Amino acid sequence: MDWQIQNKRETQRRLLLQFVTTVTLLLSGLSAMATGTPAGTVIQNSATIDFDLGGTPITLTSNTTSITVAERIDVTVTLQSAQVQVSAGDTIRAILFRVTNIGNGTETFQLAIDSVLAGDDFDPLPSAPDAIFFDTDGSGDFNIANDLPYSPGANDPNLAADASVDIFLVNDIPGTVVNGNIGRTELTATSATGTGAPGTVFPGLGDGGVDAVVGTTGGQAADVGEYIVVDVQANFVKSQLVNDQFGGTEPIPGATITYTVTIEITSAGTATASVFRDVVPANSTYVAGSILLNAASLSDAIDADAGEFDTSGAPTIVVRLGDLTSADGVQTVEFQVTIN
Amino acid sequence: MKILTGLMLTMFACIAVAQDPVHLDVRTIVQKEEIVVNAAGDTETKLVTAETVAPGESVFYTITFTNVSDEVADNVVITNPIASELTYIDGSAFGPGMDILFSVDGGQTFAAAGELKVTEDGQERVATASDFTHVRWIMQNDLQAGAQGIARFAAVLN
Repeated sequence: MDWQIQNKRETQRRLLLQFVTTVTLLLSGLSAMATGTPAGTVIQNSATIDFDLGGTPITLTSNTTSITVAERIDVTVTLQSAQVQVSAGDTIRAILFRVTNIGNGTETFQLAIDSVLAGDDFDPLPSAPDAIFFDTDGSGDFNIANDLPYSPGANDPNLAADASVDIFLVNDIPGTVVNGNIGRTELTATSATGTGAPGTVFPGLGDGGVDAVVGTTGGQAADVGEYIVVDVQANFVKSQLVNDQFGGTEPIPGATITYTVTIEITSAGTATASVFRDVVPANSTYVAGSILLNAASLSDAIDADAGEFDTSGAPTIVVRLGDLTSADGVQTVEFQVTIN
Repeated sequence: MKILTGLMLTMFACIAVAQDPVHLDVRTIVQKEEIVVNAAGDTETKLVTAETVAPGESVFYTITFTNVSDEVADNVVITNPIASELTYIDGSAFGPGMDILFSVDGGQTFAAAGELKVTEDGQERVATASDFTHVRWIMQNDLQAGAQGIARFAAVLN
């Protein structure tokens, strides 16, 4: 009110036309959405006109215009998993995707899997009986005991504006694939209200009976995940422990670092003639005779045993692990250096 | 004293309205663009009355005002708030024979685009179209008896 009065003083003997804009929410329970004004919001305008005519100030108000915010249907699908390493004949290998409602209203989406895609080496086989699962436990890792299967038409995800749901596509890997082959699988999310060219209108089918309008995504989105066949999959974990010469754990010159590396084959198949190599870090010196394989000491010399300290190039710890399978369990290599 | 003067003016205005409500006719419409195929089969964009608008669409407000009295009105000023759900489209305000000013402080002060500043995270910067809260048009000339004026602007629905 204050500024209006002030304006009136400023504009004495002027004709002042002033719009009053008011905004009301038709639907309760909607909060502001990053993706757009909530569907059903009403934006009204009416004009007020103040003027002096023959020295007489007069106020008039115009008609009121009103627009209702339509529901914009927009969705994205984004791959969450890195390339998934698989072996020939694997079953139930999951790839994680995220479906996000980037429209401004609540929308239901239908999900579909397609593993017969061009541009890859093999077609993954959607697992039976279910190949699409919700990440029900929110772990990001597929767990068939906790994660519920998607059933088209029965539990289509219903997402509020800005909300998302994580979805697994689960495929089996054919037995005929070979090392280096890539197979792709695609998740598509489709608006249940409808799809079409951007701007397509579905009268009255939006939230609360407002019009629904197809946004830039066309009401449908998809993303592709990738499997790569590797003959043998392994886990490597390297850890270090510092002991200084004063009985503490400060990484100071003279302190000893014990490196422990664990190697485990996690797939079927055999890693033939496996060799562990690790270059001594800069600014440190290898502690002679410190190589251990599964707690057994190996000599530094290049000889019959499995280990050596090779100084022909950059000083390198070498341990020949031989043919490894998952049956061999965890292999542990240890060695020590001192900080220069 | 300022407030008192304002109240007196307001009361006076109300009395005047009661006496004669037809000195000036003012109308506002809101439109949006629609792509249509014309008789020649070509697509063309035309403005149609906006009833429902989707986020990302533009709306076009048009204010027409006609002096239906037989006296001259001078120094016409139009002020229009921009709803918080709308973002003003830079350069869209238009009015024949009018100077156009903007506010970034809820209509308390007005200045030309480019002269307004806002403070963000403790730093002062030149205001942009998305900061504008009001548009104001100032007629350079009098509005003669029987004459009509027009003011327009456009905004995008957030």
